[in-house]
Amino acid sequence: MIDPFQTLGVEARFDLDPDDLARRHRDLSRALHPDRYAGAPAAERRLSLSRAIEVNDAFRVLKDPIRRAEALLRRAGVPVGETAEPKPSPDLLMEMMERREELGDARRRKDLDAVRALAEAIRGREREVLASMGRQFAASDPDATKLAVVLPELGELRYLRRFLDEASAIEEELSS
Amino acid sequence: MALLEIFDPKAAPRPIGIDLGTTNSLVARVRDGKPVVITDCNAEKLVPSVVHYDPRGRVIVGVDAQRLAVDFPRETIVSVKRFMGRGADDPETRRLGTYEFVEPKTPEEAKSVRFKIRDRSVTPVEVSAEVLKVLRSLAEDELRSVGGVVITVPAYFDDAQRQATKDAGKLAGLDVLRLLNEPTAAALAYGLEKQKNGLFAVYDLGGGTFDVTILLLDDGVFQVRSTGGDSALGGDDMDRALAERLLHDLGVPVENRPRELVRLALDTARKIKHGLTETDRVEAEIEVTGGTRKLAVTRAEFDALIKPIVERTGVACRRALRDAGVSADELDGVILVGGSTRVPYVRQYVEKLFGKPPLCDLDPEEVVALGAAIQADILAGTKERADEILLLDVLPLSLGLETMGGVVEKILPRNTTIPAGARQTFTTYADNQTGFDLHIVQGERELAIDCRSLARFVLKGIPPMPAGLARLEVTFRVDADGLLSVTANELTTGVEQKVEVKPSYGLTDEEVETMLMAALDHGEEDLEKRQLIEARVEAERVVLATKKALVADADLLEGDEERARIDEALAGLEEAIRGTRAAIIRGRTEVLDDVTHGWAGRRMDRAIARAIAGKDVTAIEGTVAKARGVEAHLAEHAGHNAPDGDASGTGS
Repeated sequence: MIDPFQTLGVEARFDLDPDDLARRHRDLSRALHPDRYAGAPAAERRLSLSRAIEVNDAFRVLKDPIRRAEALLRRAGVPVGETAEPKPSPDLLMEMMERREELGDARRRKDLDAVRALAEAIRGREREVLASMGRQFAASDPDATKLAVVLPELGELRYLRRFLDEASAIEEELSS
Repeated sequence: MALLEIFDPKAAPRPIGIDLGTTNSLVARVRDGKPVVITDCNAEKLVPSVVHYDPRGRVIVGVDAQRLAVDFPRETIVSVKRFMGRGADDPETRRLGTYEFVEPKTPEEAKSVRFKIRDRSVTPVEVSAEVLKVLRSLAEDELRSVGGVVITVPAYFDDAQRQATKDAGKLAGLDVLRLLNEPTAAALAYGLEKQKNGLFAVYDLGGGTFDVTILLLDDGVFQVRSTGGDSALGGDDMDRALAERLLHDLGVPVENRPRELVRLALDTARKIKHGLTETDRVEAEIEVTGGTRKLAVTRAEFDALIKPIVERTGVACRRALRDAGVSADELDGVILVGGSTRVPYVRQYVEKLFGKPPLCDLDPEEVVALGAAIQADILAGTKERADEILLLDVLPLSLGLETMGGVVEKILPRNTTIPAGARQTFTTYADNQTGFDLHIVQGERELAIDCRSLARFVLKGIPPMPAGLARLEVTFRVDADGLLSVTANELTTGVEQKVEVKPSYGLTDEEVETMLMAALDHGEEDLEKRQLIEARVEAERVVLATKKALVADADLLEGDEERARIDEALAGLEEAIRGTRAAIIRGRTEVLDDVTHGWAGRRMDRAIARAIAGKDVTAIEGTVAKARGVEAHLAEHAGHNAPDGDASGTGS
């Protein structure tokens, strides 16, 4: 796997400046995009396409906190992916189940405001988890065994993300 | 049709941009640094996208075809764009219309709509190619020789619709440099005109398609944040809604509507719609059996009829804003594109939706073609300062694979910046399974049957082993045209076997080639001429690019030897271009390709280094510091770095 941090030329850390990432992506695209090589020989065009894909993919990974965390962990040799990670705590599972039930109720009532309020609460929670994860990444040595402490929070983020995706689908359904 | 008469070896081929619209099409080019629409001998800019097939097998396109539409409703194809890349069972074939369709005999045939015209069967690709040929000859009248072409497509077009459009270009004898999304083209024309940075929404309501695109214009880079729309929603639907009412008022029973009358009602509806942009009430006359009937429609009545249609655009707009992560009040402007945005009710609706009056100082019907011309000019490398302008577009609809239970696993989500790629690993689910079915779909729905099916293929020859052991790697790649190619690999045995599939919408490459042959009067002879022209255009482009690079990056050549090899290959190719053998030109283009390969890689590395280094001193210092940090980090933990061993991961 190609290292997305290296592709965009940034330090491998969790706290990255989103504006800096966007700027690097833009500047690299300016240099590599297939439009730049439209008149070039075929081999060069293929090369530009592959490089541009790498740059876009790296940007996609790094701007998303879940994928960025996964990339950092993989880099350090910590296995990621839901099958490799520790099981979520029963508390989290219970809480998410309750929230989902509330979301389902709001959907049945066609209560758009309630759906939005639920999503907003989870977004607040997401911000907290991200901040905490940022602190953990910053504090821990980039050592595989120590980095593994962020895994439970990564798991939680996945649950929150799935909830938010569902809420946004319901929001769309209700407002159309 | 003799291509060599048109092709003037002394005239330099010039790039053009084409807006292949549902209702009208236009061709534009850049003259003295400014994009202009090319007009015909009557100073007309718009070519109606109407194609008539006459009894003698001749094809009539444009205004003349439009005149024949009422008398020959089956033989005159209007709004063919709505059928591009669509299957024979598409709902579009059942809407109010005047065509006859060929019943498909095989599943393969069912992949594409076919019009039944007299005793012929004609695909939408062929019909569109006729429109493109007319635009090409319009451009050739003015430019003598046409080089690369950029054709615009609705941003919301799926892979099949894009592939069909590209094939239509090929069939019309055009060298298609790029498919460009219509809203992005419009933004390009606007952005360059206004020299403004900021966040914009492009609201593009055409004859048959609706697109909304949210994009950020930042120092010459047009970065699409999100796009949404409906590739079967437009002014046509307003015409149909009004035509339904007219037919009802005339007392025509739904089950017995003569095609001629349907066409007449649709045309009258369109005229009334146009009239209502200026006045509040329009009267019209319709010839029916037993005399002329007078009808009147007020703007309020029309507004009420089209309300549900226009409101459908609001759903797509809200979703695009949400996908872009912005709210309407963060937008710096809303750009109106497409003829249907002339309808007053649409303008009012857009203003209410986005909370600001839309920009419409460029002609909404021309702006897409102008943008296409600018992009063609940039791609052809003729534009000065072309280096500073870049369009970064996105995938409009998610791409995925059907998995167990008919559920779609998304591989590339919508609004991913293109070009894009992703890799996914799968495993077998039964013991000793030797084949693996792959079904590639596009769309947002959860179940594969609700999405657009792009391609199916079987990866064969998996060695027998227990379930779950085989590892199959599927790679998706979407190029800058938004077109997908898929490769599959079986990794377990270490023997890589690749299957490469390009999704098809029903016409194979061979079929396109055959149509191309049939379209030319002298078959093979003309095909040779055409291949020669194509080979020359391509070779000249490569020569130009190589010479430019020799000036800019000569220092990256490894010694005089490499330089000598390149000079020799260049001279050889230039000599071949002066000759008349397509095969030799192709061969020598490849030779140049080979000898410049290593140097090209070094040039690209330099381009990356420059881009990463940033523009100002602090950024460079920052990068150096960070780079040191990375190095130190890597040195310290070199032992811990393990290769990616995650079999279920989605990384690439």
